[in-house]
Amino acid sequence: MPPADPASQPIDYGALRALVVDDYQGMRNALRLTLSNFGILKVLAVANAAEALFQIRNKSYDFILCDFNLGEGRDGQQLLEELRHDHLIPLEAVFMMVTAESFYEKVVATAELAPDDYLIKPFSAELLRSRLESILLRKRAFGEAYRHFANQDLEAAIAACDALVKAHPKYVVDALRFKGELLVTLGRFEEAEALYKQVIEMRAIPWARLGLARALHMQQKDDAAEEELRDVLERAPEMVSAYDLLSDVCVAKKDTAGAQEALERGIAISSRTVRRQQKLGELAYANGDLDTARTAYAAAIDKGRHSIFVTPDDYGNLCRVQAEQGDFKAVADTLKQNRNILQSTAEGRLVAAVTQSVMHTQAGRRNEAARAIDEAAALRAEGARGDPRLMLDLAGACMAGDRHDEADSIVAEVARNAHDSESLLAKARKLYDEAGRADAGASVLSSATADVRRLNNEGVVLAQKGDFRTAAEKLLVACEAAPYNPRIAMNAVWVILKHIDKSGMDEPMIESAHQYLTAAERQAPGHPRLAGLRRSMKEIEQRYGIRRQSA
Amino acid sequence: MSASGFDNADFQAALVHELKNHLGLLGMTLERIPRCGDPAHDEPLDAARLLCEDVTDRLRQALWLYKSNRGPLSPNVDAYSPHDLIAELAARARALARDRFDVEIRLADDLPAVAFLDRDLVEMAMMNAIQNSLAYARRRIALEADARDGWLVLTVRDDSDGYPAHVLDSMAAGKPYRSHGTGLGLQFARLIAQLHENRGRSGALELANDSGAVFRLRLP
Repeated sequence: MPPADPASQPIDYGALRALVVDDYQGMRNALRLTLSNFGILKVLAVANAAEALFQIRNKSYDFILCDFNLGEGRDGQQLLEELRHDHLIPLEAVFMMVTAESFYEKVVATAELAPDDYLIKPFSAELLRSRLESILLRKRAFGEAYRHFANQDLEAAIAACDALVKAHPKYVVDALRFKGELLVTLGRFEEAEALYKQVIEMRAIPWARLGLARALHMQQKDDAAEEELRDVLERAPEMVSAYDLLSDVCVAKKDTAGAQEALERGIAISSRTVRRQQKLGELAYANGDLDTARTAYAAAIDKGRHSIFVTPDDYGNLCRVQAEQGDFKAVADTLKQNRNILQSTAEGRLVAAVTQSVMHTQAGRRNEAARAIDEAAALRAEGARGDPRLMLDLAGACMAGDRHDEADSIVAEVARNAHDSESLLAKARKLYDEAGRADAGASVLSSATADVRRLNNEGVVLAQKGDFRTAAEKLLVACEAAPYNPRIAMNAVWVILKHIDKSGMDEPMIESAHQYLTAAERQAPGHPRLAGLRRSMKEIEQRYGIRRQSA
Repeated sequence: MSASGFDNADFQAALVHELKNHLGLLGMTLERIPRCGDPAHDEPLDAARLLCEDVTDRLRQALWLYKSNRGPLSPNVDAYSPHDLIAELAARARALARDRFDVEIRLADDLPAVAFLDRDLVEMAMMNAIQNSLAYARRRIALEADARDGWLVLTVRDDSDGYPAHVLDSMAAGKPYRSHGTGLGLQFARLIAQLHENRGRSGALELANDSGAVFRLRLP
C-alpha cells in the first residue's frame, strides 16, 4: 500500500499545544473550553505579555491566540514583535491576534510585524475553528519551505515556494509573498522587484506595493520608491509600515525633514511601537527639533516599559535632549524615576554616570562632576560602552574637568569606530574647539582614524590584487582596533569570504567572519551590504558543510 | 475631559470593549449548551443562538459605520481562496443551523484558485444573508461561488417564499431602506459590494426570487 499523502491527513488537534493570552479571566476560560471542544487538550491561558513570554521561552507552542488589548503593560502587538525579534516562534507555529477592530490589519502590513491571521471581536467558535484549520493546512503546505528556511538554505526555500505555486494554486499569492521576502533577504532585489510587479499585475494589494517600494529602495531607486509609497499612502493612509519605509527612503535621499514628517504621520496612527519612536527621536534630534526629539524619546521609554527594544541609550538620549534644552530638573527626574532600571546593568550605570557628569559640569559642581567621571571611567574600564554620542558627552565632561588624556582616549575610540561618520567626527571637533584645543583635537582625530583607515585601505588594496589572506589579516587587526565599526567589520567579512572561496576553508577566519557579521548586523541594521554578505556566508558554509543553529 | 472627570471618548471605548467581550462570551456560552431533542428546550436555544449572532453582526456593522463617519471607508483587499471562503461560511451556517437545515455548497468548475476581496466585509455580508435564510427558509440553503468575466459571484440561495416585493423594488431603484431587520442588513451588504473596486469596476448586490430568495454579491 502506498503511504498516505500527509497533505490529505486531517489535522491532529490532540497533538497541538496552545497558549491563550487574554487579560480577561472570563474570556480565558471560555477560549480554553472552546479550544478543548476542538480537541486541543493542551491549553495554557495567561493574562499578560510578560507571562506569555515566560511560557514561550520555556516551552514551544503550536498555536498562540492573543488578544491585542492586554490592559496594563505591553499589548499583543508588542508581544508579537518581541517574539519575532527573538525568534521565539518558528514559522510552523500559528500566531493569531484577536482585535477589536478591522483597522488593525491595515496598520501591520509587513510580514515581520504581522500575525498569521487575526480575528475581529466578537467571533464565534466556528469562525475560530475554520480560520485555525485553514492556517494549519497552509502551514503544512509550506512545511518544506519552512524547513529549508530554518536550516538557512534560502535557495532551497525559494525552490519549495516555486513548487508550491504549481502544487497548490490556492497558495500562489502566499508563496509569492514568502518568496519575495526570501529574495530580499538574499539581496536579490531585482528579482524581488519583478515578483512584486507580478503580484500587483494580479491586484494592487498594499503589501505587494510596499514590497515593490522596498525592493526599489534597496536598489537605490529612491525616487521610484518614494513615488510608489506616496501613492500607496494616498489610498491607504493608515498603513503605518509604509511611513516607516518612506522615512528610510527620505533619509537615503538626504531629505531628513521629509523623513521626520513621514515618521510623525505614522506615529499619529500608531504610537506604541518603540522602534518607531526611537527613530523619530534620532531624526528630530539630527534636525535640531528638540521638542519632537524629547517627546519621541520619552514615548519610546514610556511605551516600551519592560520591552526588549528599550536600551540604556534611550535614557541617555532623553537626558541629553533635556539637558540641551536647559531643563536640568527634567534630567534629574528622568534619572530618578528610572533609577532601578539604570542601576541594573553596567550600561545603565554608565548612562547615569555620564549624564550626571554633564549635569554637574554645567552647574559648576567640579567635585561631584569628578566623582561621576570616575564612576564612568571605572565602568568603561570594566568594558561597559554606550552609544558614541554618550561617549562624546563623557569626553566633554572630562575636558571641562581638565582630564584631557582621558578625553583624548575616549574621542580616539569613538573616532576609530566611526571613522567615516561625518556627524560624529564633527561633534568631536566641536568639543575640542570649545575647549580651546582645536589643534590637539585634529591630531587625536587624525591619528585615531588614520590607523583604521590605513589598515582598511591596505586590506582593500591587497584584496584588489587578489591577496585575500593578507588582506583579511590586516582587516582583522583593524576590527580589533575598532570593534564597533560596522564598515570595517563588513569589509573584513567580505575579504575573509573571498579568501576561503579562493583558498579553501580556514576555520578561525570563518569564525571571525561569523562573529563580525553578527556584530555589523547589530550596529548597522538594514545596511544594504549585509544581505549580500549573509548570503555569501551561507553559500561558503554550505559548501564546507558548516551547520549553524538558525540565528 | 468632561467635568465629571471621565474622558468621554475613552469611557465610550472602554464600554464598547466590554460589550464586545461579553457578547463574544455569551455566544461561546450558548454554543456549549447541547441540544437535547426536546423542542421546549431546543427551540428557544436555537433562537437565542441565532439572535446572539445577529446582535453581534449588528454591533459590528454599527461600529464599522461609526468609523466611516471619521474617515473614508476603504476595503482591506487581499488574496483568498473562494473555495475556502465558501467552505468556512458553510461551516458557520451549519453550526448555526445545527440539523434544522441542509446547507449545500455549489462551486463552479472554473472557479479561480484565488480571489481578491476584503474577507471580513464579504463574510459579514454573506453571514447576514445566511442568517436571513435561516430565519425564513423551509429546509435548504445553498452557498454558491462562480466566476464570470473576471467577476467573482457569491450567492446565498434558499427555499423560502422569497423577498417581499417592496424589498426587491427598493433594491432595484437603489433607494435606501427605511425598514428594520432584513432591510438594514441588505443595505449594508450593498455598501460592502460597492466598496469593492477593481480597474474601474465596482461591485454590486443583486436580489432575486427564484424558488426562494437569491442573494448575490458580484465582486470585480
